[in-house]
Amino acid sequence: MIPLPGSISAQPSRDDGEPAGSPGCVPGGLELSFSAPRSGLTVLSVAGEIDTLTAPHLGAALDDLLDRGDRQIAIDLEGVTFLASSGLGALIHTARQAARDDRRLFVVATSRAVLRPLEVTGSAQLFTVVPDRSGIPGP
Amino acid sequence: MHSEPMHSEPMKGRPSVAQEDSPSVTADQGTAPTVEIRTAARPALIPTVRAVASDLAARADFDLDAISDLRMAVDEACATLVGLAAPGSSLRCTFDVHGERIDVSAQVVTGGATELPTDSFGWRVLQTLADQVAIETGEEDGGRRALTIRLHKLAGPGL
Repeated sequence: MIPLPGSISAQPSRDDGEPAGSPGCVPGGLELSFSAPRSGLTVLSVAGEIDTLTAPHLGAALDDLLDRGDRQIAIDLEGVTFLASSGLGALIHTARQAARDDRRLFVVATSRAVLRPLEVTGSAQLFTVVPDRSGIPGP
Repeated sequence: MHSEPMHSEPMKGRPSVAQEDSPSVTADQGTAPTVEIRTAARPALIPTVRAVASDLAARADFDLDAISDLRMAVDEACATLVGLAAPGSSLRCTFDVHGERIDVSAQVVTGGATELPTDSFGWRVLQTLADQVAIETGEEDGGRRALTIRLHKLAGPGL
């Protein structure tokens, strides 16, 4: 177990010296979308590789997710094929923020690419990890 | 130093050692690394480097968790170094496969006397993922300051 980052936001992005893509055209191909399967629950679905290049986009989407103000929020990482510490930092920041507001945060994940980083860093304890969306309890 | 932007050289010039499909290529002491890659020191090229690390570990029959850990560790080391690299410089990574262990070296030329931050979350993650990790500073050919991260990963479950 290693010390997890505090309330400070995810690591600053490292500038690639290239112009940032327009929304919907994210470098590295990270796909982000919101859905509201029922009232009081918003899900952010993420697909692609989360690394130093794409983590800032994830961070911005996670801020949007928090801003929606639902009692329950979920991050669906089933489409994620790589998760680096920069992405973990953004997720941990969101978990701490949600806990502060007394909101329930679920992470949907089954793949090794996501579960292994959560386990080795000890950050899995910060989330309620469920294997699929049906694992998210009703309000 | 090679001039190509990307360079991969598994067992070149030593056909007597090469095996079919090269699933368990071993590096001889004091000779060229199993694989060497040189890219522009840019975040957009790190996915290529970590994919090579992952592929080598899979071919060396590493445990699935160990493959995942090595891929993450190499990503972390490269991301850290690329953030400190001099503009327009290169990232040079070498991989030596020794049966149950892979040795990785990642190096960039820095703009000046740059310190690698070892109090970050990313660095702690790297220390957790790799079985051993070390930082080296020195001078590259031409007298420019070089920063190197060396790490190694064992094939079995280490955590």
